[in-house]
Amino acid sequence: MSKIQNLELLVVGGGPAGLSAALAAANYGIKVSLSEEREFLGGQLIKQTHRFFGSEKEYAGTRGIDILKKLIDEVNKNNNIEVLLSSRVLGIYEDNIVTILNDHKMKKYYPQSIIFATGASEKFLAFENNDLPGIFGAGAVQTLMNVYGVLPATNVLMIGSGNIGLIVSYQLLQAGVKVAAIVEAAPKIGGYSVHASKLRRLGVPILTSHTIKKAIGKEKVEGAVICELDSNWNEVKGTEQLIKCDAICLSVGLTPLVDLLKQRKVKTTYVSELGGYVPLRDENMETSIKNLFVAGDVSGIEEATAAMIEGQIAGLSVAKRIGKNSKDEIEERIEEAKNELELLRSGPVGKKIRKGLSKLGLNHGKNYNEKFSEEALDISHLMKTGVPSEENLKNKLPSEEKVFDKGPIAISECFQRFPCDPCVKSCLFNAISENANINNIPYVDFEKCTGCGICVSKCPGLAMFVIHKNFSETTSVVIMPYEFLPRPHKGEIVKVFDREGKYLCDGKVIRILDGKFQDKTAAVSIEIPKEYYLQARNFKVEEGNHG
Amino acid sequence: MRIQNHPILSFNRGNQIKFYYNGKELIGYEGETIAAALYANGVFKFSESKKLHRPRGIFCAIGHCSSCLMTVDGVPNVRTCITPLKDGMRIESENIGVEINE
Ligand code: SF4
Ligand code: SF4
Ligand code: FES
Repeated sequence: MSKIQNLELLVVGGGPAGLSAALAAANYGIKVSLSEEREFLGGQLIKQTHRFFGSEKEYAGTRGIDILKKLIDEVNKNNNIEVLLSSRVLGIYEDNIVTILNDHKMKKYYPQSIIFATGASEKFLAFENNDLPGIFGAGAVQTLMNVYGVLPATNVLMIGSGNIGLIVSYQLLQAGVKVAAIVEAAPKIGGYSVHASKLRRLGVPILTSHTIKKAIGKEKVEGAVICELDSNWNEVKGTEQLIKCDAICLSVGLTPLVDLLKQRKVKTTYVSELGGYVPLRDENMETSIKNLFVAGDVSGIEEATAAMIEGQIAGLSVAKRIGKNSKDEIEERIEEAKNELELLRSGPVGKKIRKGLSKLGLNHGKNYNEKFSEEALDISHLMKTGVPSEENLKNKLPSEEKVFDKGPIAISECFQRFPCDPCVKSCLFNAISENANINNIPYVDFEKCTGCGICVSKCPGLAMFVIHKNFSETTSVVIMPYEFLPRPHKGEIVKVFDREGKYLCDGKVIRILDGKFQDKTAAVSIEIPKEYYLQARNFKVEEGNHG
Repeated sequence: MRIQNHPILSFNRGNQIKFYYNGKELIGYEGETIAAALYANGVFKFSESKKLHRPRGIFCAIGHCSSCLMTVDGVPNVRTCITPLKDGMRIESENIGVEINE
């Protein structure tokens, strides 16, 4: 065996947390080795084709795959980072010696500090026949489809309505795969409402209080039996129904991958809000063992944005400890990152995370202002169905009908308080406001709005529309976001649908904004009969119309 | 079943290469995994479980579940979902028709 190599910092895992950690430390002169088990960097980011939510600083509004390109670019340019690909960390011993397997060879390293950014693994679900080919984890579907361009099936039943389940369902539709339904055991949708609404508009049913009983098929999935659940999570007799599908995709949650940490006897504890066993750690991401840090999903399941900020905190903390200078500056940056993280988690959707963190004794030393978490709108119907209630809509529309007389105006169909603000940041006319908190609900100032349609392409939730009610005597125009193929032509007649994916009327395409700025989220103006201007929210292009 | 056109992504597939699945010649691309290449060729059953001979296919696609194990160039129990496909590779299903006596 080769001799032991000394390292300043070893980062284990090349996903969003690991990349951010490596960069944060390397930027302050720390020599970093970044080991990644696969032959490429990126972790789960490589499969994320959707725009990110969260704050602008952490690339909100940018697609996951493009964020990854930027991070990898920076890593490759940084002389302080050595990337070890196809390198699996096999063991870590009491003296912090780490063994890494690469190309059938074992190498030994002795790092001064380690950041574990090993991510998470998918949870499984028990039901009859759950081992049939055609039953996948959501990550597998994303890998096949978005990394290798291979279709997993033609008609998929999705189990689980968390953000991953909703996002993967949408990605399946984009790849041309049908989604039979989304089944959710809880009485409400787990992910962001804007993701759910997108799917409903496209005609995908979301069945809350439902579960899968068994998969049907001999050699491969041919269908599934689902049934309803009552408020005590018991099956309701006589509600079984057969759903035809050729694949079942499980997205029932993630659990932190803490195996390596356990090997090194880092203290862990079970926190259901964070996904399972998580390492005990302090605010600087340091575990119970000095100089051993964690970042990202391994420290508790959260969104990628949080993982990147945690990576920065861990990387900066290492730099502060073993670095030679700039300590004050580093300290300042750590504080900034902590504040950002706190803001991200401060709304109602961060409640679960906050509860989990408080079980670890972490609350950034402060109590969250619970005023932030109070729901401003009653969104129970929206969270059950994915479709906003009349009340919700009324709240976002101009209070007086005559406001529509001024010309085109933006309407934001975003009703949930969650950390997101590209709409606010993208409007050149400062017409959208969230009242200074990224978790607040955006409201459009109809006085200021010019109806330019920029926000339609920039909102990751596809929740911004522009309505020109009095386009002509008898017609209105709605500008809708569109991320599918085929693209429509100007003058083409398309089918127009409502928020539940029901056919409303035919519409005429009168303008398409689909350039570099829109970045594949086209803003398409559709002319429709005036009576439908408050309902028309989606359209489909018929394949046959395109030669 | 390969995606040809996608509204967001473009796939830069490597060179076409030949490989063998239970003796049958198939075409895949350099840079993809064995599992992806098999799936693209319509192969969803990779092996059978040892005792009950239940069909096995891809589940996690990231090397964590062992559902995709196959014999590759004579080496048994290779995780095909994270092993890159190579020109001329011979890939064999495991446990098909093999009875275990205990
Ligand atoms: S339509 Fe233009 S002016 Fe109006 S809110 Fe959107 S970006 Fe701002
Ligand atoms: S409307 Fe604004 S806050 Fe809501 S999803 Fe879109 S960008 Fe985010
Ligand atoms: S599919 Fe899970 S290890 Fe390959």
